[in-house]
Amino acid sequence: MIKRPMRQLRLFWRSVFDVRTGEGLRALFMGLHMTCVLFAYYILKPVSRALFLNKFDIDQLPYLYILIAVVGGMLAYAYTRVAVRSSLMTAVNWATAIAVACLLAIWWLLSFNFDWMLYVFNIWVSLFSIIMVSQGWLVAANVFDSREAKRLYGLIGLSAVAGAAFGGEFTARLARAVEPRDLLLATAGMVLLSYGFVRAVAAQKNVKVASARAAGEVEDFAFADIVNGIRRHRHLQVIMAIITITFVVDVMVEFQFSALAKATYHSKADLTAFLGSFYGVYLNLTTFVMQLFLTALIVRYLGVGGTLQIMPVMIGIASGVMIFVPKLATASAMRLFEAATRYSFNRTGMELLYLPLPADLKNRTKAFVDIFMDRFGRGLGAMVLLGYLALIEKDPKHPNLTRVSVLILAISVFWILLSARVGREYLATIRRRLESRRLDFDDSRIAVAGAETVALLEKTLSEGSPRQAAYALRLLADVPGYDVGPHVETLARHAATECRTRAYEVAAGARYKGLMDLAARALETESAVPEQQAAVAYLVSVSPEAPIDAAWVRRAAGDSAAWRRGLAAYAIGLQGQDGDGTLRQLLDDRDPLVASAACLSAGRVGNRIYFEQIAQRLRDHAVRGPAIQALAMYGARVSGSLGDILTDENAPVAVRRQIPRVLRLIHDQRSVDVLIASAGCADLSIRAAVVKALNRLRESAPGLQFPAHAIAERIQIQAAWCLRLHAQLLPLRPGVQPRSAAALLVRTLETRLRQSMEGLFRLLGLRYSPIEIYNTWLALESGQADRVSAAHDYLDGILERDIKRAVMPLLESRDRVASHARESFRALAGSPETAIAEMLRSADSWVVTCAIATAAEMKLKSLAADIATASRHAGQETVAVAHQAAAALA
Amino acid sequence: MAELNIVEKVIALEGVDLLNGLTPDQLARIASIASEVRVAPGKVVLDPAKPLDALFVVLDGGVSLAKDGAEIHVARQNEVLGAWALFDNEPMPVTATATEESRLLRISRDDFYELLSFRTMSRLLQPCSVPW
Repeated sequence: MIKRPMRQLRLFWRSVFDVRTGEGLRALFMGLHMTCVLFAYYILKPVSRALFLNKFDIDQLPYLYILIAVVGGMLAYAYTRVAVRSSLMTAVNWATAIAVACLLAIWWLLSFNFDWMLYVFNIWVSLFSIIMVSQGWLVAANVFDSREAKRLYGLIGLSAVAGAAFGGEFTARLARAVEPRDLLLATAGMVLLSYGFVRAVAAQKNVKVASARAAGEVEDFAFADIVNGIRRHRHLQVIMAIITITFVVDVMVEFQFSALAKATYHSKADLTAFLGSFYGVYLNLTTFVMQLFLTALIVRYLGVGGTLQIMPVMIGIASGVMIFVPKLATASAMRLFEAATRYSFNRTGMELLYLPLPADLKNRTKAFVDIFMDRFGRGLGAMVLLGYLALIEKDPKHPNLTRVSVLILAISVFWILLSARVGREYLATIRRRLESRRLDFDDSRIAVAGAETVALLEKTLSEGSPRQAAYALRLLADVPGYDVGPHVETLARHAATECRTRAYEVAAGARYKGLMDLAARALETESAVPEQQAAVAYLVSVSPEAPIDAAWVRRAAGDSAAWRRGLAAYAIGLQGQDGDGTLRQLLDDRDPLVASAACLSAGRVGNRIYFEQIAQRLRDHAVRGPAIQALAMYGARVSGSLGDILTDENAPVAVRRQIPRVLRLIHDQRSVDVLIASAGCADLSIRAAVVKALNRLRESAPGLQFPAHAIAERIQIQAAWCLRLHAQLLPLRPGVQPRSAAALLVRTLETRLRQSMEGLFRLLGLRYSPIEIYNTWLALESGQADRVSAAHDYLDGILERDIKRAVMPLLESRDRVASHARESFRALAGSPETAIAEMLRSADSWVVTCAIATAAEMKLKSLAADIATASRHAGQETVAVAHQAAAALA
Repeated sequence: MAELNIVEKVIALEGVDLLNGLTPDQLARIASIASEVRVAPGKVVLDPAKPLDALFVVLDGGVSLAKDGAEIHVARQNEVLGAWALFDNEPMPVTATATEESRLLRISRDDFYELLSFRTMSRLLQPCSVPW
């Protein structure tokens, strides 16, 4: 029992102080920012509450709770809605300026002793905690990438705890020396100091706070959806009930604590000092220690149901003691247990409770809970208190706290029973999710699994279907510190290949050596490819020297059976080296499965000597996918070579067309540069692939820079091309007969026009918000007058002048677009002959073929020479059409 | 009559309900695997005793479909015979016999699958839009 906290401490120590080169200043400034913010908050909280309690009788406190829940909630929600539309730096600038201005205004107004001012002050403090603290974490999320964040958030969190403790202690010490309201000036100073640290961190290299959003997207939810979800999922009903009770009790315990604090400390200064020490120092440090050392342990041994019972049990015991000893010390201990267990055990338990819910319902429910449920719970708690004071207490200004304790005890008993029910509901839901294999620990923000979950997974492993058993083994392997050895031994001998495959995978991850003989035997005869690959991966992982050595690979590579050659190729990739050129031989293998495995292994080995061979396999549709993945594994160092192939007119189009699909997987600036340089390629299909790849890169790697000028230029060229297609269509449409070559040509051009318009919008998606441009495109495509009109308005509002001038005419009515096209391309739109003559010179082979057939159909003898020229380097289908056309025109 | 070129094949395929909604390029790809077949009157095109390995599009002429000896329909221009060939090689329970000199476009099931295995053609059945 002692070892585990020590291990936790070591892990914590390592994680907190693992600051690497280049991270020092960012971590320092970020840590100091959080210290200052929390320092400021833990001055404000005790001062605001102490001033209120000192001024008013305790029966006014429930009204304050209700106002904080309603007004504070509405303002916090409104802030989030505004923040999602502004940049983070703008929000920080404004929030700091407003906070300092408010602090000075509140400091000044407090000197007039207005009663209402204390309500305003307390509501404002609740907003300060929501906005400034969450903003601090959002800045941190944009200062560190996800890997850095995992290492450095411990340090930042520790800085925040230190800030809270210092703030509380500062308040406690100074409250008696100066007027409590004057501490607000110190708070304003800390806010300004925290702002200075944000500016300092924003000035660091590679930090892009200015371009980040000031709030994460709020998950949209509709009340009807949530109500439906609650109606359908009993699990959700219990979650909501627990949350409500938690906050009802929170309010009642705080009320009791405040009443006794008020009764004990009669001066503002003493009360402020006491609350400063209590909230800033004791509560913060207790929560910190509980979360760090005890939560994972408790969850592991007591499970979710047990963890969730700790809080009501502690509160029940404390309220029992309060009945007999209604003193401030008892009330303080109760408040400490209540708040500390709520922030640690209860929060983790609730996170686990959400785990088995479907992902979309979970996200919506969490957003609903974050925005409404805690405030609803607190509001309800305040109403219960008001009802109690009005109906039970004879003197509401001096309530009998023993009776309040009895009420809390009664609620706690109900809560304990509900928590037991939660445990059962949780298990039932987990069981159902396991059966449908929709449970995923990766999705969870916490790294612990409850005891009952582990027991259920073990049961599923032994009694479930093969799929469920394999799934349960993967989940068990994710449970920290769990010994999977006995289970992999069992599943490796299972009749189902899926179980055996999973056993090798898990054993490899756990470096478990007990399956070596079994794995070696699995490679002697042909069986499912995934199982054999898992066996090879396992053997290479636990014993790199034998039996999968160079001799084994050579023998397998020369085998007549394709499955053995495929395994040889796979093994080379795992070993990371190909000493004797076996992989080059396998890359040219006639069997697509062997060639695919060889491509992937070549990508893993990463040697440039394979590059050409892999690129050539892009032509083969059966090997194309692995070849694309393999080339992408080389990363940005092959971007230049990929660009050379992409722009090489002599390279096969089938290969060139796949290069953008490789580049879009390489999230590097060089990929963007190569693609932009090829965006003007003559071949329409390659051009389309290039723009799609750029769209995908922008979506998957938002940090890359897309050169605005080059994209604006491409947009103008694309818009001109669309107008040209309109001009080509103009002389062909009148009098076109159905089921004729001319009708087919018109349809082809219309298809090209639509594809080109889509390409134009894809380009716009590189310059402006991709989501909004996509929605605009859908609105235009819908043809519904109101949506089309809104799309026009949107584009009219955001497009730059030059781009607008090129794009907007294309979105007008068909007649007006025709008129624009006629004016812009007068010669082209003049007659079918001139339009078809231009099409015969097109790089689009299908357009050329249709144009030849149409020229013959229309008896356009003047185009005979152009047809002969067009067919000179064309494919055989086009040549056949040209021969027939020549005969018809002769 | 000369062999149909690719443009003529696409024009013929455009009239087929089954392929309605495909772009001309997609039809051109199908046309590239379609071969023209001429059948004399009385020639059996689909035999219930033989596995189905292709679908046919009637270009001109007529093909009678009979079940248990009774004629149920005469397929004319643009009508498809053996569409089920795209999904299964089980014989059709009907006999298809040319009633006159007819021209058909034959699309082999294997060639069609080969075509489908290309990524671009896998979107064949959802031709309305290219997703972003």
